[in-house]
Parts: sequence; structure tokens; C-alpha cells
Amino acid sequence: MKRLLFLLVLTTLLVAPSGAWAQFGHPLKGQWSGQWGPANSPKRLLLDLHWDGKEISGRVNPGDENATVKSVTFDYSDPSAWKVRLTAEGKDKSGKPVSISVDGTLENIGAYSKLFHGTWTEAGQKGDFTLTRN
Amino acid sequence: MNFGRVPGEKGVWAVPYITNMAMRVVGPDGQLLPAIREQQAAARAGGAGARGGGGGGGRGGSKSEPWMPWMPWSAAVYDYNSKNESKYDPEGYCLPPGGPRMMATPYQMEIIQQPEHKRIMMIFEGATHIWREIYMDGRKFPEGDALNPTYLGYSVGKWEGDTLVVENKGFNENSWLDYFGHPHTDQMHVIEKWTRPNKGTLHYEATVTDTGAYTRPFTMAWDIPWRADGELPEYICQENNRYLNRLEDDLGQPIFGPRPQPGQKPASGTR
Repeated sequence: MKRLLFLLVLTTLLVAPSGAWAQFGHPLKGQWSGQWGPANSPKRLLLDLHWDGKEISGRVNPGDENATVKSVTFDYSDPSAWKVRLTAEGKDKSGKPVSISVDGTLENIGAYSKLFHGTWTEAGQKGDFTLTRN
Repeated sequence: MNFGRVPGEKGVWAVPYITNMAMRVVGPDGQLLPAIREQQAAARAGGAGARGGGGGGGRGGSKSEPWMPWMPWSAAVYDYNSKNESKYDPEGYCLPPGGPRMMATPYQMEIIQQPEHKRIMMIFEGATHIWREIYMDGRKFPEGDALNPTYLGYSVGKWEGDTLVVENKGFNENSWLDYFGHPHTDQMHVIEKWTRPNKGTLHYEATVTDTGAYTRPFTMAWDIPWRADGELPEYICQENNRYLNRLEDDLGQPIFGPRPQPGQKPASGTR
């Protein structure tokens, strides 16, 4: 019976379509997942961003080593591809301060699968990043 | 005040199709803003300004609606929706209209007043077969997580003379204000007012306060005509909606197909 239940749950998970919830508020708001760095050793990213009507706030990689978003600015010159600059500050495992600077483009703004990509700089290291909205 | 039928009578409210609510913004006097009237006159004359704000059916974007209290991001989103001609309209995907848009989505609507239950029901045939319940029992709004964000929000109403006044909170962000793509956030708060100045007319007014998307409140108004021989027909938005299968997003991906994976670069030249 347990095996049958396990197979049923597994089958449900495999055939279920990927969750894609509409969200038509501020396009940067929400949870984003992706990675940055070289293709052979990418680092995982999770952004949790909020919009209160005045500013974007949130965290990068929520958890023990999370960084807090300090500033976000936008350039809306192209309504289809917003330029976004984000800075965040956190600490590494040893407690040493880590600064994050992001220069990115927000695209596919109206779609469920919004895309945020560009250059990620963290603790002096620089690399490409790609994030999709969960 | 009876907003519905009397016994033995047919009749429904024929909700109008209002594609651009910015063109229905009224001043404190309840009249359309002068700037809108000027734009409509220009549209009729076919001259300069004819394209702005949907006055002539055009898509002028945020700059053509300077009376709207835009935030920079909401103006940019509106420009984006204008540019792609509302390709991402959630109602086009058969999702519920949400907020005041349910009073601007065509098809018939019926109002059922149940004073014995201290509630008013509104049944909308178009707009994906939705109904809304307006609580008339004087209750307070749920607070915190108890106010679950929904498409239609949470509605508490009261009578002020012959005017039905309904306060709405608790909207999710899964809808637009209108077909033209005015965005809103979950901070939206709407005060609706209905009157029935005569048998054949329901006057509707909605004041939108959304501190997440607009810098100040604005009020929109329109009339909803009574269709005396009408009854609620059946309309299934989801049925045979092949339009959805053809839709591609800005990156050339099927909107309802597999999503780009982390690490996937955006396709070039598909915007």
C-alpha cells in the first residue's frame, strides 16, 4: 500500500505542470531563482523581493548567509527591457562583510516567466547571472 | 432600493465593455475630466490628440493619459502593455477580471439582494462565471493573513440612502484594471457606489486607492443599462480557446508551455 501511495505521489509530481502564477503587480516583486558565475561552477541564487509602494526591499539567498537588499534603481527607457541596478550587503561564513552589486535587465515583463539577467558582482568576483521568477 | 428584478419580471444588467478605464475618470463633480473630454473631441474630429488614451481606440501609452497619477513603474508597465497591444491580458486567458473590471467586462449581470441573509450577490455571466458576495452585516475586514488575497477582493457594503456603498480590500495581483493594461497591486483599495437613478440605469462609481501603483486616488464612473428581456446566458471562455496555444512571450517561448530554465540565455531577436 505504501509503495502504491509513493508511486501515486511520484506520478502526480512528474505529470503536474510547472507552477506559473500570474503576477501583474510590480514586475520585480516576488521570488526569483537562478544562478551566477562560470558555467562549470555556477552558484545558486534565490531572491525574495518586496514592493511597498516606495522601495524594493528583500534578501538574496535567504538563510544563514543571506544578504539584505540596500538599493534598487530602474531605467525604464525601454518599457520591454528595464535596466535594474541592485546592491545588497551580507556576511560570509566567517562573518566578513560581503557586498553584492547587480547590473541587470528585466525582460519578458508581462509573461509568467519573467527573466532577470546581467552581471553579478559579489566580493570582488564578477560573472553573468540569470534569474527567472518562480 | 431594489437593484434587481421584481417578481415575475425578466431582466439583467448589460455590463458595458470598457477597454480603458482612464477614459472614465471623473472629477469631484462626477463629470468626465476636461482633459478627457478634449481628447474625445479631438478623436471625433480626427485631429491631433486623436490617438491618445484610447479616445479614438488608439494606444497612446502613459503619456497620453497625463491625468493618471502614475508611478514610474506603473507608467512603464502600461507603456509595455500598450506596445504589445495587451498580449498578456489575464482576462484573455479566461482568468477572472478582478476589482472594478468585473463591472466593465461585457455580458450580463444580475444582482440578488438577500436582506434576510444580510448580503448581496452579484452573478456575472461573462468573466469566467464568477459571482461576488457583498457582506451587509456590518462586519469588519479580516486582518493580516486572514484576509486572503483574491481576484475579487473582500467586500463589505452598506446603504447610504439609496446608494449602495461597498468597500473592497484583499485583492491579489493576478489581474489588470482594464483591457488596456493599467496595473494594480495588492495594496489596492476600492470604494464602489451604485445608484439606480431610473428603472433602466445603474450608475456605477469606483474610487481606486492603490499606494503601490498610483500616487493618489482616482474615481471612475459609468452607467450600466438594464436589458428588460434578458436572462443570464451561458458563456464558456475556456472552451475552444485556441488563441492561448498560439501565444508566445517576448522571448519566443510558448506562454503556456515549458518555462525557461535557470541558466538559459534569452533568445536573441525575438522581441
